[in-house]
Parts: sequence; structure tokens; C-alpha cells
Amino acid sequence: MTSIDLQQTRRFRWKKFATEGAGRLIIFLVGSVILWALISAFLIERPDRYLPSPLSVVLSSADMLYKGSLLSFYSDTLTRLLFGGAVGILIGIPVGLALGLNRTVADMFYPLMNFFQSVSGIAIFPIIVIWFGNSDTTVLIVVLYTSFFPITFNVLSGVRAVPVRYIQAARTLGASRLQVVRDVLLPGAMPSIAVGTRLSVGFAWRAVIAGEMLAGRPGLGNMIFSGQELDNSAQIILGMVMIGITWIVLDHYLLRPLEADTIERWGLVQR
Amino acid sequence: MTAISEFSIAIQRRVGRQRLRRGILGSIPFIFIIFLWELNTYFVWYEPIEIPPIADVWGAIFFMQSDCPGLVAAFQLHNDCQLSNNIMSSVGRVILAAVVGIPFGIAFGILAGINRTISGYLEPVGIFMNSVSGIAWIPLAIVWFGVGWETTLFIMLNTIFWLIFFNTMMGVRAVPKVLVHGVQTLGGSRFDTIWNVYLPGAMPSIITGMRMSLAFGWRALIAAEMIGGDSGLGFMIFVSAVEFKTEEVFLGVILISLIYLMSDRWLLVPLEKWTIERWGLVWKPT
Repeated sequence: MTSIDLQQTRRFRWKKFATEGAGRLIIFLVGSVILWALISAFLIERPDRYLPSPLSVVLSSADMLYKGSLLSFYSDTLTRLLFGGAVGILIGIPVGLALGLNRTVADMFYPLMNFFQSVSGIAIFPIIVIWFGNSDTTVLIVVLYTSFFPITFNVLSGVRAVPVRYIQAARTLGASRLQVVRDVLLPGAMPSIAVGTRLSVGFAWRAVIAGEMLAGRPGLGNMIFSGQELDNSAQIILGMVMIGITWIVLDHYLLRPLEADTIERWGLVQR
Repeated sequence: MTAISEFSIAIQRRVGRQRLRRGILGSIPFIFIIFLWELNTYFVWYEPIEIPPIADVWGAIFFMQSDCPGLVAAFQLHNDCQLSNNIMSSVGRVILAAVVGIPFGIAFGILAGINRTISGYLEPVGIFMNSVSGIAWIPLAIVWFGVGWETTLFIMLNTIFWLIFFNTMMGVRAVPKVLVHGVQTLGGSRFDTIWNVYLPGAMPSIITGMRMSLAFGWRALIAAEMIGGDSGLGFMIFVSAVEFKTEEVFLGVILISLIYLMSDRWLLVPLEKWTIERWGLVWKPT
């Protein structure tokens, strides 16, 4: 009797584990790796070239770790992202605020910002290469450019979206211009700053990868690109997995909570 | 004097005072930049190889099209019509990828939106695929398909499909269950609920996904053409940069952004507005 109960609860627990959140994710991940291994072992003609098995990817990562290149590539890429993105955002927020302060100025620069936001950093890459050559400066400028415009544009429209009523109320109560900026406009624009930050970092991440690939600077982007040139597909897949996981971690554990908290704290949603 | 003021009043009436003001104000920075650019050609602060004169950029259009026999030949992708060939191959790839990717994205999105089990399996794949941005797929795509149009099409499809998929799924999930139950109570089949409830309910979200996928896809396409393509605007600016034909690079960059802006402004934004008006589930006081 008890053994049947135990069995049932075990089965129940297993079912619950298998169908809910993390458990299903783990099963899914394991399943897809097995599927990947099976495909690469039986379905593909030249697996080392077209779809290396998970094992060879792991081996290649161990190889690169041993040589020390993996960590240095990774840190190079992250440094570029952090540096370019941080500078772009730190310049972008004040510029966006300053442009948004005055309605005439905002109207003046809105189309320009819109235009430059749509000119992707990857598209201006050849121009930057002509100006600065295949150097680290080129990659940094492209990253800076891609992170600057989304955040500036968002801050600009965020400041403009703050209801005039609030500004007038603060002015009526005797607030100075600085106080209006600090206590009304900045908090009011906070949600769009958070949204813009996430957007900026997202674009910057793509730009880092593309920039490294095109300019040939050491980094994850160059790692996958040289993997293609050296006919080393395991290296490509390793790089792609690292790029994907890094972005998932960055997005889900840093940027999204930041955005959600900011919107909850500063959002102008009336309750 | 009266003629001028009458003219200005007529224009203000016709266009609208606010729109006119915004248009004029908005054009000031552009005019300023073009002015500076033009000044550079006279004072040569930067060499023409770094910043080419505007006239050269304009002339590059005719230079690249100089051997083109005519308009018909341009549409037949004649070998000598370099510029129009590159434009058409880029735009054509976007259209092809949209035609293939959007229906598949919508179909899988609806499936995943209705069925939790399917979404549980497809969602992690989608999150991962979106995170491995289109650009990171380029080397693997080159290994798989070689340099050429298959690679760029694959990158574009990859970007479009997952964005549309996610937006459709979110849209389907946001449809109130009451409406679904309502249709089912009235005897609607499963197909009816999909066709008449889920699809229209998810429409605004799908269109937003289309806008996003154009924005991301266009960027990814340019990068893919630069690295793994053999035609298209991205390929053109990359090759021109290698050959230091800066005027062609500038022309290409301007064309890339203009094509994106125009297709977004005149095609997708009106479509989005119309869809939200027509199918949006926004409660409107009547």
C-alpha cells in the first residue's frame, strides 16, 4: 500500500518537475544537446565541418581555455561593450535631457536623432574604417555610436512626455529651473532612460560582435569569424553559445530587472 | 509683402501651423550639417578621401549607373547597372525573407500562444536564438551555405522569424480568454477561434513585430552582406571602403538609412496605426 503511494507521489513529483519551469528547461536543454549530438553523429556527412558534436565543442573550449585565448577574447569583448556602452549612455543621458528641456530645441533635434538612430552603426562601419583604420578605436567608436543614439532619443522623448502640468505645478510652487530638471524632468524621464539603456546595450552588443568581426580585433566576434576562416566549426559554435548565454544573463538578470524596477518606482502610471 | 504673407498664411492653413513649425525646425540641423559638409569641400579641413564633397556623392550615382542601358535593363538586373542591382538585391532579399518568414512566424507563434507545452519548448529556443544576434550566425551560415545569397537570406530569415514568433505569441496570450470562450460557447470550432479571435487579437502585436523585424533584420542584412554576401548595399559599401571610394560608401550609407526610414514611415507605421485602430483591443469610450 505504502509502496504504491510512494510510487504515485514519485511519479507525481516527476511529472510536476518535468512540466514546470526550471525542470522542463533542464530536460529541454539536455534533450536538445542529445538531439544535436545524434544529428551530428548520424545525419551530417562531415560533422567536423558542418555541425561539430557537442563533445568537440567542449573539447575546443578546453583547448582554448588551456591556451588562455578564450578568457582573453571574452574579457576583450566585455571590456569593449562596457566601455563603449557606458560612455555612450553617460554622454547620451545629459545630451537627451538638455535637448528635451526646451520644446523648440526638442522639435529641432527630434528628426535628426530619428535619422541617426536609423543609420545603424554597422552601416557606418566602412566610413569609420576609412577614418581610423582597422583599430580598436574603430570598434569603440562604432559601439559608442550605436549606444549613444537610442538612449539620447529615448531620453529626449521621455522628457518631452512629462506632462506640462507637473512642470507648471513645480514652477508655481517656486521651483527654480534646476529644481524642475532635478525633481520633475529627471524622475519623469527615468522609465525611458531605463528602456533606452536596455535598447542601447542591446544594440551595442550586436555592434561589438560585428565590429570585431569586420575590423578583425581580438574578441568573441573575431573568434567566430576566424573559426570560419580556419575551418574550425567547433570554435564558431562555442563562440555563438557564449555570445547567446552572455546576452541572456545580461538581459534577464541585469537589464530587465533594472527596467522593471525603474518603471515601478518612477513610472507615471496612475494608480 | 502682401503676396508673401498671403502665401505664408495659405501654406499654414494647408499644412497646419504646428506641422509646418516642426518641419522647418527639424530641417535646421540637417541644413546645418549639409552646410558644414559643403564648407569642408571649399576649405578642405579633411581630405576628400575622408569626407568626399556632396557633388561627388551625387555623382557616384551616375557613375555607378553610367553603363546601364536603360530602365528596363535596370529591372532585368543588367550587369552594368551596379547601383540599382545592389539596391534591388537588398530590397528583394528583405521582401523574400518577409514573405517566407512572416507566415511561418505567425503560424508557430499562434501554436505556441495557444499551447503551453509547445511554447515551453519553443520559447527557450527563441530566447537563445534572439540572443545569438543575427550577426553571430554569419560565420556558421558561411560554413553551411557558402558566401552568397543563401547566407544573407538565412541571416535575415533567422532574425525575422523569431521576432515575429515572439510578438505573435505575446499577442495571442494577451487575448482575453472571455472572448475565446464566447466564440466557443456560440459553437465556434478551433479553427474559428484561431481565425476570428486569436489572429485579429494578436494583429497589433504582429504588426509591431514586423516593424521590429524590419529594423533588426535590415541591420543584420547589411552586416551579412558585408561579411558573407556577394551583392547588395552592404556589400557595395564594404567593397567601396576597401577600394577607398569614399563617395560610394557615403552614398550607400545614406541610401541604406533612407530606404529603411521610408519603408518604416510610409509603409509600416501607417499599417501599424491602421491595425491598432481596426483590431486593437483598446477600450474606447463611445
